[in-house]
Amino acid sequence: MASLIELKDIYKIYGEGLESEVRALDGVTLTIEKGEFVAVVGQSGSGKSTMMNVLGCLDIPTRGDYLLEGTDVKELTDKELSRIRNKEIGFIFQQYNLIQSLTVLENVELPLIYQGINADDRYDMALEALERVGLSKRVKHKPTEMSGGQQQRVAIARAIATKPPIIMADEPTGALDSRTGHEVLEFLQQLNREGTTVILITHDNGIAATARRVVRLTDGKIVEDKEQEVDWL
Amino acid sequence: MNIRQAVKMAWKSIIGKKGRSMLTMLGVIIGIAAVMTIVSVMSGYAAKTMEQFSAMGSNKITVDIYSYFYEVDENGNAVSSGRDYFPDLYAYCKSIPQYIVGVTPQAYASVNVVYGTKNSANFEWDWETQTGQRSPDVYYVSNQYSACNNLTITKGRDLSELDIERYNQVCVMGSQAAEAFFDSADPVGKILQLNGQSFEVVGVYAPRITGSDAQSSFIDNIIVLPYTARRLLGGENISSFIVKAKDGVSTTEVATRIRGFLKGLVDPSMGDTWVQPDDRWQQSMNEQMGMISLVLGGIAAISLLVGGIGIMNIMLVTVTERTREIGIRRAIGAQRSSIVTQFLIEAAMLCGIGGVIGILIGTLGCYVAGNLLFHMTIYPSAAVTAGALGFSVLLGLIFGSYPAIKASKLQPVEALRAE
Repeated sequence: MASLIELKDIYKIYGEGLESEVRALDGVTLTIEKGEFVAVVGQSGSGKSTMMNVLGCLDIPTRGDYLLEGTDVKELTDKELSRIRNKEIGFIFQQYNLIQSLTVLENVELPLIYQGINADDRYDMALEALERVGLSKRVKHKPTEMSGGQQQRVAIARAIATKPPIIMADEPTGALDSRTGHEVLEFLQQLNREGTTVILITHDNGIAATARRVVRLTDGKIVEDKEQEVDWL
Repeated sequence: MNIRQAVKMAWKSIIGKKGRSMLTMLGVIIGIAAVMTIVSVMSGYAAKTMEQFSAMGSNKITVDIYSYFYEVDENGNAVSSGRDYFPDLYAYCKSIPQYIVGVTPQAYASVNVVYGTKNSANFEWDWETQTGQRSPDVYYVSNQYSACNNLTITKGRDLSELDIERYNQVCVMGSQAAEAFFDSADPVGKILQLNGQSFEVVGVYAPRITGSDAQSSFIDNIIVLPYTARRLLGGENISSFIVKAKDGVSTTEVATRIRGFLKGLVDPSMGDTWVQPDDRWQQSMNEQMGMISLVLGGIAAISLLVGGIGIMNIMLVTVTERTREIGIRRAIGAQRSSIVTQFLIEAAMLCGIGGVIGILIGTLGCYVAGNLLFHMTIYPSAAVTAGALGFSVLLGLIFGSYPAIKASKLQPVEALRAE
């Protein structure tokens, strides 16, 4: 059976052939199995965000093959890629990336709208996700009326509303204080225990300690890939 | 994502920036209002004019016979301005009843009408305020005048052939003229003084136009006399006649026949003739109105085009401003087509709302312009209203498509990076 994620010799090169050529990903080969909790660690500029964009089908690699559940994403149309981002992957960003003009509930409903789910089911599913992050009482608020930690919890609710098999979190605690950051990581571990594959992008070794597996990137290359004892929160 | 969701999103976005949306719509509002007003006023005016025409009866042919020479008496004074052709024309028309309903002179008689204290010389009509009383038009006619002009008797009797033959001093009044002189009293049997001569009112015609338009049309403000009364009251020789063709008969064909008859009757060295179906005149008027509408409408359409470009401009700004939002939507599963739909619908709604406001202002404009220019109340037709609404939405779709496609072409990862 095919692995969940398989990167084969992936390159992402900006300005290829120029003197100013930048190799954000420089021949990355990596396999991630279903149910894993992987931390991709690296300094700023190491290529870890590019890696998440490629993994999340937000960006197309310059060269190399990316097989998602055995399917080569190069062959997929925009429609199919949109469907994957919608159903298979839940994104959590450092800057939350909530739409400010929409309420909390509307933000969480958004991926469900793109799935074409009817209004009643959508409301139930969004509310269930918000309940899980403890925000079911503030559904009518706008994101700007909430604290950073609360906004990130809304973003998590949006990511899990479609119950995707993969969660990708790019520096999810970067904008939070240590206590709320701790809550977010705890929640990711909880999701992983329930079977969700979690990919956590971070520059912080302490945060990476919450993951079972650590993949270290330097200058677009994998320099370390190890299993470790998990720091359960 | 379905259309209902897209409409909801677009509405939120428009309402979220009321001031800007209003300014964006302004071009469309002005354009639609201008087109509505111009097209409706022109076609409304044409329609009402046609209504008056048809009230006076269709299938009419105007026959003019002019004489070059005057007959003079031994002292060299003009005794008559040429030959009276009507008896010949009358006889000819009577000979082809399969084509013709009736024939009558229609000659304007410049006479003063007096009844009791009412004198037509004192009647005054104010065009600006549409008030007062207009002096009636007096015509020399035959007993077939009513048949030629869609008139029916409501009181008394019509002019008869005997009235004509015997030079009877009688007249029939149009409904407006009757009201002007007699108010609600029965005019039949009353004696009018026409240039000092007594004429008995023998009948009153029913009004041909009723309601609010009756006031501004004067087609029922008439008094008709047997044309033989001209001997008593004087005036120019009768040169203008109306022939009414039967329904379903080609007026062009009847006109050709009459022309043929007159060719043998009128010596070209003595006079000239002119025969023309009235609908020809209506046709050319219709064409003229159509031309004017087209030119004015074209100018207004240019303002719509400018309005559309304004929409495109603002939509491009909106797309730039919302690049990050587009990135977020793409990241959580929006397809390119969903993004296109969202921005297209926003542009179409913006234009559609502008269109509705434009239609309201255009309707008001019609009312005001119709009253100021033509003294008539004109409202836009349903077809024009629906057309304006449809066109404004179409405008949004056309000018919104470039910004919408531009938005959908953004790479998710780049869009997410935008501030």
